[in-house]
Amino acid sequence: MPTDGRDKPLAELRAILLGPDRAAWENLRQRLDNPSRRAEDVAGVLAEAVRLRSSGHSDVKLRRALQPLVEEALQLSVQSNPRMLADALFPIFGKAIRKAITSELDGMLQSLSQTLEQSFSLRSLQWRWESLRTGKPYAEIVVLRSLLYRVEQVFLIHRDSGLLLQHVIAPAPESAEAKDPEMVSGMLTAIQDFVHDSVSGAESENLETVRMGEIELVLAYGPDAILAGFVRGVAPRKLSRVFQDTLDGIEQKKAEAFHTFSGDTSRFDSCRPQLEASLLGQGKPDERPSSSWAARALLFGLPVLLLLVFGGWWVYSSAIDRRFANFTHRLESEPGIVLTHTEKRGSKYYIAGLRDPLAADPASLLPPGLPSNKVDFRWEDYHSLVPRFAAQRQLTELKGQIEKRGFHFKTGSAEIPPEQRFLLEDVGAEMIALIQAATALGKNAQIEVHGDHDPVGAEKLNVVLSRSRAENVRAALITLGVPAARLTTMPEDLEKDRSASFRVIGVP
Amino acid sequence: MLKKKICMVGQFGVGKTSLVRRFVDSIFDERYLTTIGVKIDRKDVTVGSESVTLMLWDLAGEDDLAQLNASHLRGASGYILVADGCRAASLAKAVELQQRIAGQLGSLPFVLVLNKVDLRDRWEIKDAAVAERGWPVFETSAKAGTGVEEMFLALAGKLVE
Repeated sequence: MPTDGRDKPLAELRAILLGPDRAAWENLRQRLDNPSRRAEDVAGVLAEAVRLRSSGHSDVKLRRALQPLVEEALQLSVQSNPRMLADALFPIFGKAIRKAITSELDGMLQSLSQTLEQSFSLRSLQWRWESLRTGKPYAEIVVLRSLLYRVEQVFLIHRDSGLLLQHVIAPAPESAEAKDPEMVSGMLTAIQDFVHDSVSGAESENLETVRMGEIELVLAYGPDAILAGFVRGVAPRKLSRVFQDTLDGIEQKKAEAFHTFSGDTSRFDSCRPQLEASLLGQGKPDERPSSSWAARALLFGLPVLLLLVFGGWWVYSSAIDRRFANFTHRLESEPGIVLTHTEKRGSKYYIAGLRDPLAADPASLLPPGLPSNKVDFRWEDYHSLVPRFAAQRQLTELKGQIEKRGFHFKTGSAEIPPEQRFLLEDVGAEMIALIQAATALGKNAQIEVHGDHDPVGAEKLNVVLSRSRAENVRAALITLGVPAARLTTMPEDLEKDRSASFRVIGVP
Repeated sequence: MLKKKICMVGQFGVGKTSLVRRFVDSIFDERYLTTIGVKIDRKDVTVGSESVTLMLWDLAGEDDLAQLNASHLRGASGYILVADGCRAASLAKAVELQQRIAGQLGSLPFVLVLNKVDLRDRWEIKDAAVAERGWPVFETSAKAGTGVEEMFLALAGKLVE
């Protein structure tokens, strides 16, 4: 397309019409296209732009946009050189930390001195018992129980205006009458300002506690609000911390409400549960008679009961011990019993020793209060040299010997065969010894002489023969000195052999 | 229910305290004013259907020796300037205080009270001097009780707006 002829005038026209503005346009174009020029421009107005944007309270967009950036920048700063931030924050944190440590130490000292005061009282025993019962450390019980107090009213106060945001009162009837809390709230703030201004060098210090008689005012401060509690009694140090935590929680939760506060306190109604939770208290014992009675009954009743139980058990067990001791003494003096060992094993008793079989049965000697299942015996047999047992043994021996003796007769004869007559002397001597030994033991020994016959011969004759044989032996023994009264004849009915034999009776 | 902090300021001896005494609820002794420099009273008013509690911070009067404690102004929603109609100097002080408060708190609703209207014959303040400022003005008498309720109601109305 042929344009040369027309372009020239057009360009001239453009130069005439737009000439003066062209340079300005060019400049503008460069400023827009050139990134470094654009940055310079923005830098010039950035501060003013941010100020404008942040002056509107309700506009949070910029803050939200900057928040991650600032957080990240802080993080980076700490990572690269933690000292810088630490130095910058020290003037604030140093003071706060010092204050926290001082308050902590104060609290410790307070509880320590109280502990010392009460360490040797009846109360301390009570607390030790409580500590044992509940498993809480003793120190905690001491702190809990020794500081009697009650938070009666709590005020949540707007820090700048002193306006009362919320007010809660302990439900108990003896709470101090709440004078107009609105005015109290304002006055508290004013007094706080007054103290603040009056005490030089206390710019960052705040009034923390005020004591008036038995009422203590405990205050906690936040950037937006003050939490004030009227406490009856001695407020423990930890209460300040509880208040501070409560206030911090409320300020965090209600940040927006604080920020835009314009006198509408209903926006803080939802803080009441937190405030009510800070109506703490450790009632005096006489304020709760029922529970204190129960505690007292438990405190004194239980030991008494235990004492009774243990005492009863002790009396019972020592009575049995005494019976056992008496029993062992009795056994020791019992002939034919030698104790080698006695002991108590748990609730049972154990006796070991030597026992003559002729001695009394120890189990039969147990006294009525000492059941046989409580005593375990272990006996070794032995022969005692006690005369009674020796005599008894001799008697038994003699009895055995005599009862083994026998005379044998010829068929049809009742005469003692001459070759057996020497036996008579032995038997006679044994019988005399037996009767003497039995008499010495207080026994009345009787010796039966049994005569018998063999099956041979007439029945009638045999009976006569048996009797004659017994009679003959008895007569012979009497002539040898055996007392006649001790010898009785017994004709044997049964057919055995042609003999005469002996049975000793009245001797075991 | 709304609550608002209102500061009451003026030169020493203009009758601030006696002005409101009969119209407010008070539990604190007036000695507070001289000891800690402030006394707090309460005034409940109803604006339309809304009840507003005004917490009145009666700040100790200012003179050559005592200065207004700026920390007591913090958080106020409005203020009452009190001057004595019989003392021209008290109006000048009120104007000065208004400037200081506006400097600290920004533009807040306020009213000017010219007290001791019962002594109109000894009046020193010219109406024109007041009118030229365009401030809401109430002439009151603590003695007769005139104008006080109206003043509170007007201020509360401005606060609720």
